[in-house]
Amino acid sequence: MNSSFHRLAVRFLLACLTAAGTVRGAPDVATGRSFWSFQPPKAPAIPAVRHADWPRSDVDRFILATLETRGINPVGDADPRTLLRRVSFDLTGLPPEPDLVEKYAADPSPEAFARIVDDLLASPRFGERWGRHWLDVARYAESTGKERNNAFPEAWRYRDWVIDAVNADLPYDEFVRRQVAGDLLPASSTEQRDQNVIATGFLAVGPKGLNERRREQFLMDLVDEQIDVTSRAVLGVSVACARCHDHKFDPISQRDYYALAGIFRSTQTLYGTVTNQGNRQPSSLLALGKLPEAPAAAATASPEPDRTRPAGKAARQAARRAAANNRPRPEPEAPLPPMPPEGSPRAMGVREGRPMQCALLVRGEITQKGPVVPRGFVEVLNTTPPPPIPTRESGRLQLADWLTRSGNPLTARVAVNRAWLHLFGRGLVRTADDFGALGEKPTHPELLDNLALRFQSSGWSLKSLLREIVLSRTYQLASTASPQAANLDPDNTLLWRSTPRRLEAEAIRDAMLAVSGILDTEPPRSSPVAAIGDAPLRRGADSLRDASFARKRSVYLPVIRGFVPESMELFDFAEPSLVVADRDTTNVPSQALYLMNNEDILRISGAFARRLLADAGLSPRERIDRAYRLAFGRPATPRELTRAAEFLRLEIGDIARNPPPSQPSNPPPDRRRRPPARSREAMRPGEVAWTSFAQALLASAEFRFLR
Amino acid sequence: MNPPMNAPYSCSGVQPRPWSRRQLLQSVAAGFGWMAFSGLAARAASQPAVQPSTTAPLGVRPPHFRPRAKRVIFLCMQGGPSHLDTFDYKPLLQRDAGKPGQARGGGAQLIGSPFQFRQHGQSGLWISELFPNVARHADHLCLVRSMHTDIPNHPQAFIQLHTGSSQFIRPSMGAWVLYGLGSENENLPGFITLSPPLQFGAQNFGSAFLPAVYQGTRIGALRENNASASLGNIENRLLTDPQQRRQLDLVQEMNHDFLQATDGHPEVEGVIQSYELAFRMQSEVPELLELKGESPATLARYGVGDSATDSFARQCLLARRLSEAGVRFIEINHGGWDQHQNLETALRRNCRAIDRPIAALLDDLRSRGLLDDTLVIWGGEFGRTPDSRKSDGRDHNSKGFTFWMAGGGSQPGLSFGSTDDYGYKAVQNPVHVHDLHATLLHLLGLNHEDLTYRYGGRDHRLTDVKGNVVHGLVQS
Repeated sequence: MNSSFHRLAVRFLLACLTAAGTVRGAPDVATGRSFWSFQPPKAPAIPAVRHADWPRSDVDRFILATLETRGINPVGDADPRTLLRRVSFDLTGLPPEPDLVEKYAADPSPEAFARIVDDLLASPRFGERWGRHWLDVARYAESTGKERNNAFPEAWRYRDWVIDAVNADLPYDEFVRRQVAGDLLPASSTEQRDQNVIATGFLAVGPKGLNERRREQFLMDLVDEQIDVTSRAVLGVSVACARCHDHKFDPISQRDYYALAGIFRSTQTLYGTVTNQGNRQPSSLLALGKLPEAPAAAATASPEPDRTRPAGKAARQAARRAAANNRPRPEPEAPLPPMPPEGSPRAMGVREGRPMQCALLVRGEITQKGPVVPRGFVEVLNTTPPPPIPTRESGRLQLADWLTRSGNPLTARVAVNRAWLHLFGRGLVRTADDFGALGEKPTHPELLDNLALRFQSSGWSLKSLLREIVLSRTYQLASTASPQAANLDPDNTLLWRSTPRRLEAEAIRDAMLAVSGILDTEPPRSSPVAAIGDAPLRRGADSLRDASFARKRSVYLPVIRGFVPESMELFDFAEPSLVVADRDTTNVPSQALYLMNNEDILRISGAFARRLLADAGLSPRERIDRAYRLAFGRPATPRELTRAAEFLRLEIGDIARNPPPSQPSNPPPDRRRRPPARSREAMRPGEVAWTSFAQALLASAEFRFLR
Repeated sequence: MNPPMNAPYSCSGVQPRPWSRRQLLQSVAAGFGWMAFSGLAARAASQPAVQPSTTAPLGVRPPHFRPRAKRVIFLCMQGGPSHLDTFDYKPLLQRDAGKPGQARGGGAQLIGSPFQFRQHGQSGLWISELFPNVARHADHLCLVRSMHTDIPNHPQAFIQLHTGSSQFIRPSMGAWVLYGLGSENENLPGFITLSPPLQFGAQNFGSAFLPAVYQGTRIGALRENNASASLGNIENRLLTDPQQRRQLDLVQEMNHDFLQATDGHPEVEGVIQSYELAFRMQSEVPELLELKGESPATLARYGVGDSATDSFARQCLLARRLSEAGVRFIEINHGGWDQHQNLETALRRNCRAIDRPIAALLDDLRSRGLLDDTLVIWGGEFGRTPDSRKSDGRDHNSKGFTFWMAGGGSQPGLSFGSTDDYGYKAVQNPVHVHDLHATLLHLLGLNHEDLTYRYGGRDHRLTDVKGNVVHGLVQS
């Protein structure tokens, strides 16, 4: 106890001293700037390689040069069918059509592959896949989570904005700028202004503790969450841990934190949730389809008294008391705009509030205010003087500029690293979530810098970046093992082969729907949560699971905090309250049980079987082969044909002989709510057996892995 | 309901496939059959301390030293139950009720407990009238009256109770225990949580950076009717068991081919293993979850069927059955302990809901000889304040509250530590949540400083850089 008191006392002292500017937490900013990720990327020389005929691009030269220094030879190229399945899932999250596979297998030229890549990048399905990657780090969800878990009925607009922006290949710097300060950017039309406002939903869709009594605490938690998502999603480092003390490992001080906090405290966040009970922190929403309003900061008087603002004599007394306590005056909040009426288009997002500076809070306690910190940015990242923040503005516009300006050492590196991660299963910096001192160093630092610099100089185009990487020879390697290489680099850190990867939850479900021929690719432009409206989600959220939008792509399934659809949650969907750059991959029995027994899986398998049976002109063996081509993007081998035929023969005979099992006496709730689409009694043995076979393919490891 | 199966591959009329369980037993060297192998390892029992292998992550691992407990039943009370009205008797609070309290900002007054306390058993532990049945077990209880935690806020405190840290995503204690000791039953998950609150996320039974095999398996959810709670997706409406086994054999044959095609990729092997375990779970789990085998007398003793107790009674009875079946860490949940108001009525209702079921669980564990090596723990994320601005409520108190333990090597009939005269704050022998974690691991034969996992460049523990074993809680 004594020692912990001692530690506390020392920390308190340090915090005070730091706040007073007399000492800085270690490491100091100058030392901190020498850390690799805080230095601007440097253009590296393209390395020379011994096997000059192997590389197809500079990416390959960097990879091969490292392999050669270690004496490792890359394995051969992937066969065309494997490669096409890989690139199709990687870029669109969907399997290739069998016809395309055969066409490419017949002409596997680099030109043919490049054309296919261009088609995939141009497909609207691309944004649905790569937009979802961003939604993972944007901790996108359609409810507040925490103790009230109120719905965000308008959150889907932000989701669709992300998908549309990725499809349009909006330059990544602009993509970030609009999400941080879209409301402050020039817009040539009401529609564009609306889109820019929707983009700021990035700052509004985070988890919120609506039950919090203390307004100041709520606001500081809101700000903390915004600092966390902005710093981690864009910069790949955590600033939020400097809320209570200087960062222990990275040169990020509490001053940095409260400098950013001032920017977000000068911003008004509008997330809805007005009407329901137990909500102590209601908000409004932004009206769409209207001309830009004057910033709240310019307003001289508020039309209605604000409940948090002391008025008149009481206010003066409060101010005097605060002054006597040597604390800053309580900052008045900007009044909430009126809630746009139900039925009119509305969005979550932010707008300018009353500009204010934030007081540093000792140990992050709202009751222990320290000195006021001027608004600003993270000092260690100020490689050149940061943009000044005008007194009458929040500083968000300057923050957006600062995040994306060319001298920022992290933004481009973090973005290209994530692209690499989603194409190889692992980033060049393995800890894609942490570019700080506790993170790992890049395996290929020169390649990372090369990609980051060219990403910026080529106009921050994600599509160009991905195109270059997937056209590299490195990406197109086979997944076969090589004893020599495995001995020297068992984890394939240096990329001498392609590492087999399990598909993400969305790709697994979407692929099942696609091969069964029932995928509905039309974007819904809404969400089941929109139908719920402004209400707390408890039991009601359950009924949203997979039931609606049953054939839509998974990116459009409702994401309710605490109620992630089973088909997503079981396969390691990103926790929607956390910034997740790199999802887990597990292979556990609950997934096996889901694939063996779940009603949705049986339904999809039935559709797959009927698709196979619908073509009356096919022999059973041709039908099996067709199933393999649809499910795995390859023909069945003779052994597989024989095995499947034998399976079907035995299964049909057994099903014909044995009556169906009785309905479970104790069906789980999901099953009670929705009667099975097609009962076993209504199906002939052949259909049951083919359903069983189709399910076996969908449940197999090959279906959910990329080689 | 499919007929229960005696053997996982009793597929009548079907030839066993090359990798049926029988063959798996013979092909350990090829990397298959780790489940069977772990079963054998469990029986062999005297292995040196080892890291869990990649092929047998759930195999039984020997503890660091002789354990007092083999398994844990955690009775988790979400919301922060009032220690002042249950297990922490405060005569001065009764005397000074109505006087100004210490709450920041003023305006609060001390709230005397509306409930009578008296001493119980040889040990003379003070327990309130709310727990007449649990009080029968006073001489088996080890009251920890000096608990404290960091943050008086539900989500943070609840997560810290479960993972040690509300600030970072960390593995839950059940995951750590399973990682440390492995599973005693190859056909069941080693860590099961019944009816947990979902609003704080799966983190409370998650494995975070530990391999996912150590995460808790959730059955039901708080405030859901748990009479029909089941492990999801446990039955197939389309196929009979032999038909499904034939289907699974086909899947596994394809998986085996794919394993070869990927040169033995460990994740593909993980898929193969997951199917075998899933198939066995299908037969074993429904048998366990159904309470049909229990006599009406037993059901009545727990309170099954009585609307006041039914939900928690089922959980307690399941906890007994799961502990008998060899599940390593069982958490059962009761919510709604957040009495900012309505203290008397709500607390009476809550305690009634759990008192009889818990007493029946303790009775059964004792009579079956399980209490000696089963550590039962009761408590919530924090306690409550002695004062309030409302006349019939109490607010969050992270600075002092009560947990109790029973069995598993905890010191019976003990009251350990204390809060101040009003119950604001732990003052004597304070026990932080980190200390509770260290002690729990200690009773299981694990040194909390040695149970580590390398992640993000450093070795992590359940207790992070903190925690001390509270030896006073350990039976001498």
